[in-house]
Amino acid sequence: MQHENVKILIVDDEKGLREGSKRLLESEGYCVDTAENGTKGIELGTSHDYDLAVIDLKMPDIEGTDVLREIKNKRPNTICFIATAYASYDTAVESTRLGAFSYIPKPFTPEELFNHLDQGYRQRLLLLEAEKLKEEREATLLEVAHEKSRLKTIIESLSSGVLLINSEGEVVYYNHSTLQKLDIDNLEIGEYILDKLPGQIVDIINQFLKSDNIIQKSITTQVEIRPNTELVIDATCSPVPHPDGSFAGVAVVLKNITGFKQVEHVKNQFVSMVAHELKTPIAAVLGFIKLILDEKIHVPYEQQRDFLGRSHTRLQGLLDLVNDLLDISRMELKTKQREIQELDIKEVLISTLQFLEFELKKKDISVDTTIGDNLPKLNADQNEIIRVFTNILSNAIKYNKDSGSIKINCSLKGNFLVTNITDTGVGLKPEEKERLFQEFFRAKNKHTRGISGTGLGLTIVKRIVESYHGKIEVESEFEKGTTFTLYIPINK
Amino acid sequence: MLVTEQFKKLLLVDDDIDLLEQNKIVLEAKGFEVQTAESGKEGFELFKKIKPDAAIVDLMMEEPDAGFILCHRIKGTDHGKSIPVFILTSATYETGFKFSSSTDEEKEWIKSDGILNKPVSVDELVSKLENFRTSA
Repeated sequence: MQHENVKILIVDDEKGLREGSKRLLESEGYCVDTAENGTKGIELGTSHDYDLAVIDLKMPDIEGTDVLREIKNKRPNTICFIATAYASYDTAVESTRLGAFSYIPKPFTPEELFNHLDQGYRQRLLLLEAEKLKEEREATLLEVAHEKSRLKTIIESLSSGVLLINSEGEVVYYNHSTLQKLDIDNLEIGEYILDKLPGQIVDIINQFLKSDNIIQKSITTQVEIRPNTELVIDATCSPVPHPDGSFAGVAVVLKNITGFKQVEHVKNQFVSMVAHELKTPIAAVLGFIKLILDEKIHVPYEQQRDFLGRSHTRLQGLLDLVNDLLDISRMELKTKQREIQELDIKEVLISTLQFLEFELKKKDISVDTTIGDNLPKLNADQNEIIRVFTNILSNAIKYNKDSGSIKINCSLKGNFLVTNITDTGVGLKPEEKERLFQEFFRAKNKHTRGISGTGLGLTIVKRIVESYHGKIEVESEFEKGTTFTLYIPINK
Repeated sequence: MLVTEQFKKLLLVDDDIDLLEQNKIVLEAKGFEVQTAESGKEGFELFKKIKPDAAIVDLMMEEPDAGFILCHRIKGTDHGKSIPVFILTSATYETGFKFSSSTDEEKEWIKSDGILNKPVSVDELVSKLENFRTSA
């Protein structure tokens, strides 16, 4: 047997035996430490992890059994032998009870000593192996425990509700989200739940329960838990089989889809509004044509010309509306490719005003433009920014009084290029101001009669400005005028 | 007695001046006398002034439900209780607005005598007026 690196401690007050054993064992390859009394023996034996220890029973300071107890207490895997010249049955029993591997009667021959130590070392290896296995097992158990608690944490932190129901309709498991999704205060494990669940979910569960063959697929339904789209959930019910394939219960996953439903509602509303807005001008044009064609109704020539002119205006408005809708749809789909480039705000304003020159002249409106010096350039899509200013300025013209004025002021405030556009037009009532950016909203009062528009111009402005992380504000006084303030961030 | 004689004086309220004028011409050709207003507010003032024999009010005017509100106001007056008031709209099933599914409570509140589809068909109006006469 190889004894390389086998560490052994000899505790004996008898110098000759101590030194003799040391030499003998070292010649066999053992690493040997010695202690000349019990106190030193305890000190060494507890502070080092010896493979083996041979302890003399009778020492002047401390009994060998006390040394044994201390070492075994601290180092249970150190194999200890009690060496004694007073070998008796009692001491043998006592030392074994205290954890000694065996006792070695003195005097002993080298062979006797090696024999004992070999046996002891084999035991030591077994102990170490067992310890290793135990540690591994404990680590595995710990992992399982962690896994369980991790799984529980994951399920508890899911935003979806998870509810397990057995074939008796009793709650087996649920996470906290389940309560919110079903809008109930509490659930007890083991409680019968089918009378607490919405009918649509119970119907699905009953399908699973009543089927002879276990249904393999999941079934999903949408349930309005609170009316008026306040809380809508999507419930997916999946059958859970026993290992033998028979029906064990149902897993229900509950997702909150209120947001989606609300968006859907807004979209439907928008589509309805669009349909209405498209239909109205068509109806007006149809009406005029029918009147002109109606043989039973006499429409004088001059009135016919008037009807045709008004039909033309309505159709032009319809075309504008379709164009605006297409723009909004492109913005929504983000399919419109932006060409971001450096823009000089002054140039943008000048070209916009040139584009609107005809309208300005028609109403004899003066424009006063103040643009700060050395304003930084904008990084934006030219068409979009021109669209923003065109929509605001054409409103400032359309809703202005004849021979009115428009003031444009452009300056830098912090990271924002701030543009004020003030008109001397009809202004807005407070309730009109509130709804100004709503799709299809158009202020209707005695001053706005005969002014055409799609009701989408400012919606488009707002969307463009916000897509650049900017902001638009409006101040207005009825019958006095309106000021729009645009904040467009500058990328420095 | 013809309905055009019994309900001769009509109040027509619509914020679309083109449609308003067309309907006025069509109805006048049929023999009605038509007075027009362009908003719910203006409509109610005119109603009090002319005390019409029947009223036709557009639904979506300054507010999306301005016609309902005007109808409710008209029906709140003594004269209003005795005359038919019809809501005029193009916003029926094609547009997704389901007026037919308005709750009883809402119908009770609005008290309209029926819905007329745009564009106004004189025949439809006449038959609605006849129904009103029979059931009244």
